[in-house]
Amino acid sequence: MWGQQAPQGVKVTMDAQEQDSFREFVAARSPALLKTAVLLSGGDRHAGEDLLQNALVKAAGRWRRIDEPEAYVRRILYRQQVSRWRLKWPRRELAVAEPPESAATGDATSAAELRIVLRGALAKLTARQRTVLVLRYFEDLPEAEVAQLLGCSVGTVRSTTHRSLARLRSLAPELARLDRPDGGSRSMSRDFSPMEV
Amino acid sequence: MNVEELVRESLREQAGQGAPLPGDFVDRVLAARRRRRTRTIAGTSLAAVTAVVVAVAVPVLAEDTGRQETRPASELRSGDVVAHPGQTPPRDLIAAGDKALAAFSTSVPVKQSNGDEIVTRTYRLLDQKTGTYRKDARWSWVAVAPGMRTAAVLEQKLPVRRIGLLNLLTGKVERWIPVDHKVGGVAFSPDGRKLVATTYAKSPDLRDMSRPMHDGKRERPGPAVPSRTGFYVVDVATGDSGGWSKVKTAESEFGPDTINTREDFAFSQDGTLVYSSLTSAPHQQYYDFKGREKRTPAREKHVRWFNGAGLSPDGKLVAGEFAGDGKTTASEIIDPLTGKRVAKVPGQQLLAWADNKRLIAWDIAPGTSEYRNRLVLVTLGSRKTVPLSGYRSSKADSTGRWQPVFAER
Repeated sequence: MWGQQAPQGVKVTMDAQEQDSFREFVAARSPALLKTAVLLSGGDRHAGEDLLQNALVKAAGRWRRIDEPEAYVRRILYRQQVSRWRLKWPRRELAVAEPPESAATGDATSAAELRIVLRGALAKLTARQRTVLVLRYFEDLPEAEVAQLLGCSVGTVRSTTHRSLARLRSLAPELARLDRPDGGSRSMSRDFSPMEV
Repeated sequence: MNVEELVRESLREQAGQGAPLPGDFVDRVLAARRRRRTRTIAGTSLAAVTAVVVAVAVPVLAEDTGRQETRPASELRSGDVVAHPGQTPPRDLIAAGDKALAAFSTSVPVKQSNGDEIVTRTYRLLDQKTGTYRKDARWSWVAVAPGMRTAAVLEQKLPVRRIGLLNLLTGKVERWIPVDHKVGGVAFSPDGRKLVATTYAKSPDLRDMSRPMHDGKRERPGPAVPSRTGFYVVDVATGDSGGWSKVKTAESEFGPDTINTREDFAFSQDGTLVYSSLTSAPHQQYYDFKGREKRTPAREKHVRWFNGAGLSPDGKLVAGEFAGDGKTTASEIIDPLTGKRVAKVPGQQLLAWADNKRLIAWDIAPGTSEYRNRLVLVTLGSRKTVPLSGYRSSKADSTGRWQPVFAER
């Protein structure tokens, strides 16, 4: 425990009550925060844990001054991830079912295979590109909110989203099928046009 | 379904997987915070610290105290820089920004029965599980792909008839690519999807006794006549080595050769052409993948490849030549289109861009031998250098004179 390990006579910055509330927050919210952190790290679980750990360490340092801990930690996660000064580690092997070579060249047909290909492609995006996609499509945040979180303009969010999707298409040419009117549209069998009864 | 929907689905699926966090996660966070506060205090002015005094200070950078400490790997890092200023040759990961020291080699001249010598390298590759460099004596040449997952390797006794694709995580060769023309060197394209393999008739590391050089003490075999024959451009995914392109080397009966004994081809910054350096102006010659000569891309006209670093990742700057004087080391940064100097940074030789603002360079301690140098990180607009490694031995041919192999991480 922090207070017990601190040298005698040293003033610690978190009292027992604060430490309890911090522990409670970490226990309750870490599973959800970890999901975001892992996605931001391109599916790398260890890098995701590192990212979350760093964000929580920062939050712990300001704990008594934070009103909305989750929003605060998430903002650190996003910003830390896109920052040049973010801790970097060699990209680790990702647990994908198919080696990237064959996935990239093979004739992937099923949605499951496409998702595997896409996962590999997501991992190859830059941190900023991936972060924007996670915020837009996983957190489902509007562009204005993403811009505010990342400290950039809405136009930048829009262009980064566009470029990230284009990069995904170039990294995984199989995705091009999806955009064709006739291609890959298994899930487009739903017909919302008015029905005659 | 369109791409946006698939991205959404894929992210949700990915988020739904994975083991729960370890039960002691919160303790880890608190312990990390405790260590970080200690480090911060050690690394910054004590006057700035009002409330806390600590008994033990952990240095910001890993100093080689010989002590084995159990702590997370990230504890050895400062920002995105992982430095080991006490290690030469390096034992533990060195990295800065987007680049890591993926491997390094040492070399010794091996005497042949006819008096010639062959410069023989020994590689140490980064073990990404432990973050340490481990000897791998199988290879005479190693090129590491961006992302550091794959390396292209050549076996001993160059030139060789096959190229290996080594999985850097397992240490196993996943595929051998056979070639008709013997290969002596390989290099990856910037996107890692292609390889250019340079073909040679004889070893590109040969020193010829009939072309002696004097090293100040005695006569030794000198650089052999270049035996380069051409190149292959290999598709990494399929292993298809395509057609071989013959490239003639202009013969030079008198005066220096137009290329070095080892003059490997490499890719242009956009990966659409390959080029070879030349020993004199125009300094490089470009070719398409069929071996047809091409004009130098506008942004690469002022690139001098012997610097190593070349164009910045965004293509807006070029690492220039030595710009120091008798007392200080410095290198220039130039505009790729005009060739004019736009900045001067510390550093003896610019080896690799860590990002658009920072470079990894060789540098010396002021006033010492120009050959006793170490890796440092330099930043545009700053005079400060951050040491990344210990000093290399100044002795030529010494095994202490290691050569770095950087890769995008």
